[in-house]
Amino acid sequence: MIRLGHILQNTIAGIAFLLILGPTIVVVLVSFSSAETFTFPPPGLSLRWFVEFFQADNMTSAFLFSMRVGATSAVCATVLATLAARFVVRQRGVTSGLLQSLFTAPLVFPAIILGLALLLFYRTINFGGPGGLILAHVLIGMPYAFRLVLASLQSFNQTLEEAAQSLGAGPFRTFFLVTLPIIWPGVLSGGLFAFIVSFGELNVALFLTGPGYNTLPIEIFGYLQFPGRQLIIAAASTLQVAMIIVLALTIERLVGLARIGKS
Amino acid sequence: MPSSSIAADGSPLGDLLRQLRSWSLVALPILFFLIFFAGPLLYLFVVSLLEPSQTELYGTNVTLQNYAKVLGDEFYLRIIQRTLLVGALVTGIALLIAYPVAMAIARMTPRWRIIAMIALMFPLMLSNVVRAYGWIAVLGRQGVVNTVLTQAEIIDAPLALLYSIEAVVLGLMTILLPYMIISIANSLTGLDRSYAEAAQSLGAGPLRTFIHVTWPLSSPGVAAGMQLVFFLTLSAYVTIALLGGPRFSLLVSMVYRSAMAFQWTFSAALAFVLLGVALGVGALIMLVLRPGRVQGRG
Repeated sequence: MIRLGHILQNTIAGIAFLLILGPTIVVVLVSFSSAETFTFPPPGLSLRWFVEFFQADNMTSAFLFSMRVGATSAVCATVLATLAARFVVRQRGVTSGLLQSLFTAPLVFPAIILGLALLLFYRTINFGGPGGLILAHVLIGMPYAFRLVLASLQSFNQTLEEAAQSLGAGPFRTFFLVTLPIIWPGVLSGGLFAFIVSFGELNVALFLTGPGYNTLPIEIFGYLQFPGRQLIIAAASTLQVAMIIVLALTIERLVGLARIGKS
Repeated sequence: MPSSSIAADGSPLGDLLRQLRSWSLVALPILFFLIFFAGPLLYLFVVSLLEPSQTELYGTNVTLQNYAKVLGDEFYLRIIQRTLLVGALVTGIALLIAYPVAMAIARMTPRWRIIAMIALMFPLMLSNVVRAYGWIAVLGRQGVVNTVLTQAEIIDAPLALLYSIEAVVLGLMTILLPYMIISIANSLTGLDRSYAEAAQSLGAGPLRTFIHVTWPLSSPGVAAGMQLVFFLTLSAYVTIALLGGPRFSLLVSMVYRSAMAFQWTFSAALAFVLLGVALGVGALIMLVLRPGRVQGRG
């Protein structure tokens, strides 16, 4: 009876993983197709769609723009998250709880509403362009960076800071010479995570991008709404998959991905 | 507790200075959140209560007409209804699939559990537009399903699988499924096995043990997973547009379209109706599952 249950659970797990990963695997396979249009299985292998991707101006500029937005917003988010986490880790009770919910709020808040609110806010104060999008992505990426930095600060031995300060080091020297060298895996992972989130983000970017400053996901979305040369999208997707694999393995090495899933 | 020994003279003034210094560093992130998160949302709410204007972003008179237009119009009520239906289907099916998968993961050795978790985290890092494109590749006219069925001579002409509510539900459900699995698996792995063993040694069968012990103890993870999946379904404009087609609309589509048509006050009201739906269903999930009764003990 119990064995039967286990077999059933494992079967469902197999189907679930197939449903989760299968479609993306199909896309990756098809991106190496030599065909003119989408055919599965691909009649032959080639790299022509990757070449086309790098020759398409709108695609490469969207790709580069996404990299820039991701990197800038990730750095800002990590700095803000570190400031916030350093404070929160020393608080107890209500203050700690309140600030934690504030800094992780964008995680659960419907992003589409945030996108609309920021668009209207920017219009009112006459602001926008790439800067507006970057600030929005700082907001979206910060919860991830905050949680990772907070987790590494929580396992950091606070008496080390006290020791440094009692030896006469100021707060800045203490942080850069004692704290940061110990918690950097958490800080770097937080930054990488914020970059990943920004690079794939859609709901806020939908409102805050525009002609000349489209992110790659928005450019892909525009392409997909009209039938046509969709295999270039497969190539773009495969590049994204490759990039995420590299970044994910880096984070796994630094702090362990499974641990992030826990928070 | 922080106690830098330089200022640790215990004097109230030293205490106050230390407090001020530590707050001054956190002021920057707090200020950032107030200006770019809380502020704009509050502003959007105020705008939803103003009358529309042809020339400005919004008029000056306070009114409830934007909300009345949403909640008094059969068309929008049907869209809200369909949004709730899609949300319930996505969340419900995801729960049905995720729970047994989470149980399988909880039984794994730590090493395999980590591998399973990474395999679940990885797709969440990909852009949803890429994952939705995956479903287009599977369900499209020249997609995998149609190719296989045509070659097996089960069908003569490709089926129209995309642009349907089924495609939207399948796509959203599989895209968001990892969140549900991870959330439930975490609460099941943290679960003390001795509870279930105690129930069984007292004569409860596997089913009764599940209903009275395992399920209630996992309810925090279930509630968190359901809320997350439902909230993300509400926002998933791109997935809905790609798999549902241009004529398939949920609340989020109306929010986006009215904003692109510069109907600011109306789209603001729609956004807060969407938020109301999120909060209402979120509260309902908590009410039914009552995760509070085991919080901190799971």
